[in-house]
Amino acid sequence: MLFAGAVSPTSAHRRDEYLQAARLAVDPDRVRVELDLTPGIAVADGVIASIDTDRSGAISAAEAQAYAAIVRQAVRLDVDETPLVVALSASAFPDVAAMRSGEGAIRLTLTSALPPLDPGRHHLRYRNAHRADIGVYLANALVPENPRVDITGQQRDVAQRELIVAYDLHPSRPGSGVVPFAASVGVAVLVLAALAWRRRRIS
Amino acid sequence: MRSMLRLPVLAPLGLLAALTATGLAQRSAAPPARASAAEATARIVKAAQAVAASLDDAGRAKLQFAFDSTQKTNWSNLPTGIYERHSLRMGDLTPPQKAAVMTLLETALSPDGYRKVIEIVRGDEVLRNGGPGGGRVNFGEAEYYLAFLGTPSTTTPWMLQFGGHHLAINLTLAGSAASMAPSLPAAQPAKYTFEGKEIRPLGRENDKAFELIDALDAGQRSQAILGSTVADLVLGPGQDGKVIQPEGLKASAMTPAQQTMLLGIVREWAGIMTEGFAEPRMAEIRANLPQTWFAWSGPTTNGSAAYFRIQGPTLVIEYAPQRTVDHIHTIYRDPTNDYGAKIAAK
Repeated sequence: MLFAGAVSPTSAHRRDEYLQAARLAVDPDRVRVELDLTPGIAVADGVIASIDTDRSGAISAAEAQAYAAIVRQAVRLDVDETPLVVALSASAFPDVAAMRSGEGAIRLTLTSALPPLDPGRHHLRYRNAHRADIGVYLANALVPENPRVDITGQQRDVAQRELIVAYDLHPSRPGSGVVPFAASVGVAVLVLAALAWRRRRIS
Repeated sequence: MRSMLRLPVLAPLGLLAALTATGLAQRSAAPPARASAAEATARIVKAAQAVAASLDDAGRAKLQFAFDSTQKTNWSNLPTGIYERHSLRMGDLTPPQKAAVMTLLETALSPDGYRKVIEIVRGDEVLRNGGPGGGRVNFGEAEYYLAFLGTPSTTTPWMLQFGGHHLAINLTLAGSAASMAPSLPAAQPAKYTFEGKEIRPLGRENDKAFELIDALDAGQRSQAILGSTVADLVLGPGQDGKVIQPEGLKASAMTPAQQTMLLGIVREWAGIMTEGFAEPRMAEIRANLPQTWFAWSGPTTNGSAAYFRIQGPTLVIEYAPQRTVDHIHTIYRDPTNDYGAKIAAK
């Protein structure tokens, strides 16, 4: 009844790597990057040290902001080879103990406004160079929520530090701009007619 | 529980005898091979009620949660010490209580699903007996947990949650409908010896996938194989509600034989549920087959560490070796019905 399996239960989970998983949401006018950063147990102390710069044993709001800014600067986005400005729109840091145990994930949301793009094929490039010494990477596009965007392909480098999302941007639906315009014209005509009728009655 | 009973040097002989007797009794009352979903629900509810009845008030307080409580997402691949679960701990149960839990699992799952669960737990015992996990990490059969979310019922929605290190079964029942998404069957070690037999909890998943990639022609392979390393699950714990863009080879571009092989892989996950639930689920997945994708990353020779993903309108399966073939994470999701969202709303 004894187990005879020859196993060496050394590591239950990723220990010496810094998992950085990105999900990209592409809209017609903006891109959102959800980036989860999870240091393994063996590298957690080093990562924590680079965040908890005052060595207080806790991550202050200022330290979190400073570290998020470092990550943000390591992330590059461009569309059709035009660089985009990457902004930090949200961040959440686990407590130090959770991070030290290998469970805690730093969650950042980065956003970029896209320039006005013509309908047709476009290429969005994402690149993450943060902590390449210990990083392992995942990068995936989310299914677009906006029906004007259709993803046609994803290309990555071997390590998934870089992801190029090819997508088709469809024109605004016919009528989506015409209907409000027609309605406005209709209202204006009615108002003018009412005014003319009133003027005639007064005269 | 016949498996946990057999765990070496752990359980006193009396416990072994008691549990074995219970397990045998359960097997003698084994459900018919083809049971309807409604019958399956009724049997599971009865077994769940037996678990609750075996506990004292403190135990029931640990077991029972509100259906919409945050306990729903309190699952992980991580072991105790790194991840804290808050429900009923197997290590705190008496032998009859533990036997009632195992009867419930045997009732809720197919024979193959039950085998997988037992082999995953047993694998964690191998880890435990191999030495300390390091720091405050605890491995072993005692570190698996059971929760009910909602009151077990044949009509109103409730959820059975069982899991621990490398295992999360989240089975939502709503009348005769069921969803086992999201669930996480994983394994470390992925191969070990027990009573002279080689055990591979997720061996069939692995082998069937390699058979399919081997059956693809060069053109199909070039579509299925991604040109990048996939280091871990993309939609693992904590990624509820996310839908990634599908990639790889579409099942509509497969031959009928290849499609059958693909469905055979899917069944390894969908078939963890008892047959009354698994069959309608497989029918749904089969109906969506033309919109289902198969993606692969890594070598194509069996015995290598390779990642694969199967994704359709109501399905995501990922199989992700953790740098080695001896440590596997997998996830099973239904983006339309995780935690029974679709069936509970009806």
